[in-house]
Amino acid sequence: MTLRQWFKSPKGYVAIAMAAYLLIASAWSQDIKGMINGLIAVGAALVVDVICCLIEKRKRILPDGAVITGLIIALVLGTTTSWPIVAGTAAISILSKHLLVHRKKPVFNPAAFGLMLSIPIFHAGQSWWGAFGDLPAWGVALILIGGYIVTDRVHKFPQIFSFFGFFFLALFLMGHYSVGDAADALRPPFINAALFFGFFMLTDLPTSPAKVIDQIVFGILAAAAGAAVYGAFGGLMYLFIGLLLANLYHLLKIRLTINASKTIRPTVRKPMSEAGSAGK
Amino acid sequence: MAKMKKKWVVLCSTAIAAVYAAGYVTTDTQASIPGPTQSPQAILQPNDGRPGVASPSYGYSGDGGSSPSSPSASDSSPPSASRPVGQYTDGSYTGMGSNRRGSIEVTVTIKNDKITDVEVSHFAMHYSESDIVGLPDEVLQKQSAKVKNVSGATYSTQAFEDAVQNAISQAKNG
Repeated sequence: MTLRQWFKSPKGYVAIAMAAYLLIASAWSQDIKGMINGLIAVGAALVVDVICCLIEKRKRILPDGAVITGLIIALVLGTTTSWPIVAGTAAISILSKHLLVHRKKPVFNPAAFGLMLSIPIFHAGQSWWGAFGDLPAWGVALILIGGYIVTDRVHKFPQIFSFFGFFFLALFLMGHYSVGDAADALRPPFINAALFFGFFMLTDLPTSPAKVIDQIVFGILAAAAGAAVYGAFGGLMYLFIGLLLANLYHLLKIRLTINASKTIRPTVRKPMSEAGSAGK
Repeated sequence: MAKMKKKWVVLCSTAIAAVYAAGYVTTDTQASIPGPTQSPQAILQPNDGRPGVASPSYGYSGDGGSSPSSPSASDSSPPSASRPVGQYTDGSYTGMGSNRRGSIEVTVTIKNDKITDVEVSHFAMHYSESDIVGLPDEVLQKQSAKVKNVSGATYSTQAFEDAVQNAISQAKNG
């Protein structure tokens, strides 16, 4: 794959968007610490990914996914987060990508998995600064522009529409019946976080379904679980919990499909004599 | 993977924007409810050991940065236990600090111009309260609202500092 081809690939699109957001948010806040965290997260993710690929004896090592994971982690964790926490979160994310797999594909979204565990393990503070949560309202427009371009490239509109539609509907109902703190979730910086999450984490190709109907169910499940967790507990883990549950649904769906196809087309066992002659 | 037609993308986007707008408008009153900063909750209490804090109402502050509550101690009936001889009046004071990530309310007890007790009386940040569990002791040691920033808990630290500063400023004489 040439560099030009890579830039046009889904991963290329996401990597460019994340790098652009890192630069814009750093420049606007005039804070170099976010950039440093970006380098640390990407560096740690790359090292762990390459080591894992070498252990697995992979023929082709292209750690572009690790770069994206590292950038997302840097954009979500607060800029004052210490470097061991940033590196540790990136390492957990990449390890989950290699250890929690089904048919050589990661089960969980690596960034979401690492970021969720970083809260109980490292007490990491997540500010979603890269989603422009501390910027004026035009920051939301930047997320929407980048988000629509990436979603169009990966053909995930049914998924994000079902996610956002159901999530906002749940928050509307929560607000109407005064359940939880829906007002916060619908305003910056939490609305920025939800948009960033929906466009750039929910649409991860290896950990989300391709079929339209599965995309819709996946989006609704992530939204429903996320909204329920937010209504009950608040905090910042609600989006990740929703996505990881939806990832499990995707895994279950794959397994059921495989089992169904095995039932329809049972393996034909060759007679011993035939099998023996075929081997010669 | 089927590509969605632009017409449907526009229609769905509009529908979702409408649902979002409905939610935003519905929660507008909740979002604009002022915190206890404007309410007469920061009442000068007699220094009798009671945590003299009434339950305030909370809401989204709606502003961008950290916004400590303005001093609003109501001294209409100053307690007899207070001795306004030093720089600060003895008593327990409630202060609040808030930012876009939530709010913190603290009760600060002052005796003989010294901070003798700091207690987080209400924690409404979107982070874990355990992040700032050591900060009240730090205030007691330093005798100042200015505490060392907790890594990864900057917003909670800021809100805590503002809340303590707010309480101290209420105790100040003159």
